[in-house]
Amino acid sequence: MVDPPTAKRLVQVIHDNLPAPVGERRPVHTIGIGVNGRFVASEVARSYCIAEHFDGEPVDVSIRFSNGLGGLEQHDGWSDVRGMAVRFHLKNGTGSDLIATTLGEFFVRNVDDFFKFSDTAKREPFRRRHWLLKILDFLQLKIPQRNPYPGETQAIDAGALRYANQHRFSQLGIFQVGLIGAPASYARASYHAVHTFWVTAPDGVRRPVRFYWQPVAGVRNIKPTPEPCEKYLFDELKKRLKRWPARFMLMMTIGEEGDTLDDCTKPWPGTRLRIAMGTLTLTEIPEGEDQATAGERISFNPCRLAPGIEPSNDPILKARLGAYEVSREMRGGCPFKWRADNA
Amino acid sequence: MPDNEGLMDRFVDRLPETAFFKFVAARILTPLWAWWTPVKPLPGGPHPSFQHGDNVQCMMNLIMPLKDKSPVGRAHAAMAISQHKDAIFAGLNNVGTVHFARFVIVGDNICMFSVYDGDFTNYIRDFIATIGEVFDAVVGLVEGGEKVIPCDKNVEAFIQWVHERDLYQVPDTPTDFLRDQERLNGDKAVAPVNDDLTLLPRKMVLQLRANANVSLGSGYRAYPGYSVAQVRKQLGLGW
Repeated sequence: MVDPPTAKRLVQVIHDNLPAPVGERRPVHTIGIGVNGRFVASEVARSYCIAEHFDGEPVDVSIRFSNGLGGLEQHDGWSDVRGMAVRFHLKNGTGSDLIATTLGEFFVRNVDDFFKFSDTAKREPFRRRHWLLKILDFLQLKIPQRNPYPGETQAIDAGALRYANQHRFSQLGIFQVGLIGAPASYARASYHAVHTFWVTAPDGVRRPVRFYWQPVAGVRNIKPTPEPCEKYLFDELKKRLKRWPARFMLMMTIGEEGDTLDDCTKPWPGTRLRIAMGTLTLTEIPEGEDQATAGERISFNPCRLAPGIEPSNDPILKARLGAYEVSREMRGGCPFKWRADNA
Repeated sequence: MPDNEGLMDRFVDRLPETAFFKFVAARILTPLWAWWTPVKPLPGGPHPSFQHGDNVQCMMNLIMPLKDKSPVGRAHAAMAISQHKDAIFAGLNNVGTVHFARFVIVGDNICMFSVYDGDFTNYIRDFIATIGEVFDAVVGLVEGGEKVIPCDKNVEAFIQWVHERDLYQVPDTPTDFLRDQERLNGDKAVAPVNDDLTLLPRKMVLQLRANANVSLGSGYRAYPGYSVAQVRKQLGLGW
């Protein structure tokens, strides 16, 4: 875990780069919706991990889907990373969280990288690239800068690209952000937990793993348009769940000797063992005050884990432990028991 | 309409989709950039790895241009395979590390696509040790094949011949494709560097010009990480 001043600084640099203050809201993934669901582990899950939610008994789950952008404007149709934070509610009143996004890999390896990235990728005036320059790009067989969305006057795109051009470890994550698009539904995107965790099997064997959610309805993005729809994802999910529950498969990839365990910028090869750990069914969207609790006041932490799952030494994962708590305190989010005795 | 979008902006945004630009890109820009910034073709076959999961279910995508580029030439190739079906299947059983293998005719090429475990050179060595004669019949129909016949007497030359016709396997991520090119040029830097990520399309276009046939991504596997031996044992199929 990073020291408290560093955790505060991590959150502060995010706040400092927002288009406008967000009040007592999350500085990123500000816009989100809470959903209730149930998780049922697969038959094989318990043979890989002793965590309670993998024992096969159905578990109540709270989910928060979100848009990655920081700020109070919704911009559903913008190309953006989306979040899926999940809390598995355990029998003793505690929980186990799994926080995932549509980004397959992160773009910095550690806290120092993050601060350098934040210095480079500040919001800058963002204007349409002149058509003559675009023609020059085409003649060089290059990708021209994207057009701004209506009303978009600032962006971090140029700074992020500068950072990526100087740091190869960041290129995959930043490249993916550039191409990520907008999902047709929160229930039609894959979400990756990015970090490595260690799971313990009943026989005591510990394995390095990475988790991701795969939508049973399949992955689908909307077609990009110059004037994307600002708000559709909440209504789409509400209508979808009124018709039929939406489902996700929880997949777990097992790392091998030699795989990168502590660097969330590096993907694992697709040739690793892949275990279907269970099915999450989204059942209902709370309304009114319940939605405020489920979508806003709820607080997640990627290091809040059931016995049987442990964080790796990934420096970003360790930094998130403190930074998420600082952010929760700043916005007055609900504290949540970490252990049965809340120690 | 988005703010301050003019007629020329709209026209230029649609330019890459026009037949005119596609013609210019294919016939003028690509050859020009290939001349100005030459690109070496990336080598075929799986990426070298010491890890278990990367050494099972490896892909071989062998494309062999036929000497006789006519329906008769293709029929000869089809006959060469069908006449030796028993020998091929028996040979693959004896190799023992092959998940799937099939011959396909695409255009004027006879192709062999297979999924195997272990080292590529061992796979080819075992293969020609058991069905070298069959390969002689096939390779004899292929451009440049006469140099390696009889295959079982020219083992190392044959392995190299196959490797040169095995497709480059484009990585699953675009940035790993860039790393492949950098590695080929001896560049192993991580940071600080002075790259230009916006050049990725040109790099891909020029590589596909140098390497017209490639395999895209590492492919899907329903049971990644398992060898033929493990699958057969688990299913009780024996040998």
